Amino acid sequence: MIVDRPRDLWFELDSEERQIIGALRDFLQAEVAPTAAERDETGAFPFEIVKKLGQMGVMGAQVPEQYGGAGLSTRTFARIIEEIAAVDGSLALTVASHNSLCTGHILIAGNEQQKRQFLPRLASAEVLGAWGLTEPGSGSDAAAMRTKAEETASGWVLNGSKQFITQGSVAGVYVINARTDAAPSEEKKHLGLSALVFEAPIPGLRIGRKEKKLGLNASDTAQIIFEDITLPKEALLGERGKGFYDVMKVLEGGRIGIAAMAVGLGRAALEFASKYALQREQFGKPIAEFQAVSHKLAEMATQLEAARLLYLKAAELRDAGKPFGPAAAQAKLFASEVAVQACDEAIQILGGYGYIKEYPVERYWRDARLTRIGEGTSEVLKVIIAKHLLAQYR
Amino acid sequence: MKFVAVIRQVPDGESRLKIEGGKVDLGGVTMILDQMDEWAVEEVIRLQEKHGGESVVVALGPERFEEAIRTALAMGIDRAIHLVAEGYLDPITQAEALAKVIRAEAPTLVFTGGQQADWDSQALGPALAEALAWPVVSWTTQIELEGETHAKAKHDLDEGAEVVRVALPAVFTSQQGLNEPRYPTLPGIMKAKRKELKKVPVSASSKVEILEQTIQEKSRLNKMIDGKDPVAAAHELVRLLHEEAKVI
Repeated sequence: MIVDRPRDLWFELDSEERQIIGALRDFLQAEVAPTAAERDETGAFPFEIVKKLGQMGVMGAQVPEQYGGAGLSTRTFARIIEEIAAVDGSLALTVASHNSLCTGHILIAGNEQQKRQFLPRLASAEVLGAWGLTEPGSGSDAAAMRTKAEETASGWVLNGSKQFITQGSVAGVYVINARTDAAPSEEKKHLGLSALVFEAPIPGLRIGRKEKKLGLNASDTAQIIFEDITLPKEALLGERGKGFYDVMKVLEGGRIGIAAMAVGLGRAALEFASKYALQREQFGKPIAEFQAVSHKLAEMATQLEAARLLYLKAAELRDAGKPFGPAAAQAKLFASEVAVQACDEAIQILGGYGYIKEYPVERYWRDARLTRIGEGTSEVLKVIIAKHLLAQYR
Repeated sequence: MKFVAVIRQVPDGESRLKIEGGKVDLGGVTMILDQMDEWAVEEVIRLQEKHGGESVVVALGPERFEEAIRTALAMGIDRAIHLVAEGYLDPITQAEALAKVIRAEAPTLVFTGGQQADWDSQALGPALAEALAWPVVSWTTQIELEGETHAKAKHDLDEGAEVVRVALPAVFTSQQGLNEPRYPTLPGIMKAKRKELKKVPVSASSKVEILEQTIQEKSRLNKMIDGKDPVAAAHELVRLLHEEAKVI
């Protein structure tokens, strides 16, 4: 009597993902959605929620099981980020950055001892991870960083500062990129950089200004300052002087997460605007029946679907062990641009109600706006995409 | 000790069901572990955590039930038996097929949902007890084992509740308030893939055949209260909510 569902296609949730997303959705609706707007208002960091996500395994989603993680694929991890972002953008950024940046760098470059020391506690969210690349004077030009780690007889002494650090003031494990060796030349200034990993609290680590932001208010962003932090030799993460290559790998992976986060926020705006358009009546009928409105919704839906396919493609490439850098750059570029557009159009569909804080779409717009900047601006991503494109014809 | 949870998979309550040619079309519908069965699963896991032994989930239904079974395994059940049967089987026929497998397992007790979310049937638990010739405690809100031979349980009645002592093995059905089920963890979901899931084909003929299905549709009453006098409108709203809707 019952017509069964057809088999899953590659872009649909697979059986495991349905389990994971189903459990996550229950959790998000019960424990996150009711308080997301309030946290956006107060900027309170959701320690309790993050702890529970740790118990569920979300904070070590891609950490292998032997280090206490869930051992999920990049693809499933990206689905998780989309799902969280559709409810709470700040929380999505916390989860994405904790997993992809700090934990991600240790997964990519850490030795066995470092993995065993840091990963289990990061995966369970016993401690949160922060990752330091950007500085007051170096953003897109990351290799121009001035933070220095000088070699001593027993290890390293770290001095400098990092800017806009997610989890900067709440983390327990820090991965900091610093110059350990002089660059051979200005053109090769990406050489001589290394990553260091250490735990807080530690003498010499100072938390600077906590930033007030346009959006993502419940995600922690702070300046961190290093004043003669003494670290052992074992703090070196990855190969000395070649840290920049690991940084690029970390960022490439992180971009898939930011693309998924953008899609989640855009999806939330689309869902809200669609329901609103069916209910809101003007001139005697629901505004969804005016083409000016329904065509906006159609464009939003199409662009977001295309963005989702792009991040899934990048994730599938990464999971298959194939080069995924250009695909991740395309996914993040496209997803962040169309997500901001979708949120903007949602505000337009809601009109005055879109502009006030009683409705969530203005929050989606403010949260989505960061995705065009973090983990590589749209402009830097175009440079990367063009470089790979033109290399085929040179 | 061995604890068995009997579960079913049902459409998510928020899904929109369609009728195609007199049949429910589940294409595109999210299917989940029945919530009352989820309470049964949670209770079985808690009993095992407290008393040790083994936990087993048993389900009778089509291939797609496997996802609900994996959910139970992801929550922490040790292993599963899936009696595979496509198409509709009435609860009595289901109970007879389930009883054969459960008798062979010889568990300490069996837990299942008090009421099915899709067919609204409350028959499976009692029918299963009947087929096994075991006692049944329906609408259970509390259970405590007294050694391996007896259990003390509190269960709801129409008039209130009662506390009973029952000889084991017995069948218990769940009621709201029994517990708060845990969220499956991601590592739990991944481990569930590797847990034993035995498939047993079932060929049973249903005593009841479904000829046609329709969906009950309730149209909105669209009651509007004149708001010119706010105090009178508020009184009228309270009266309607209290006397007609009976929600306050």
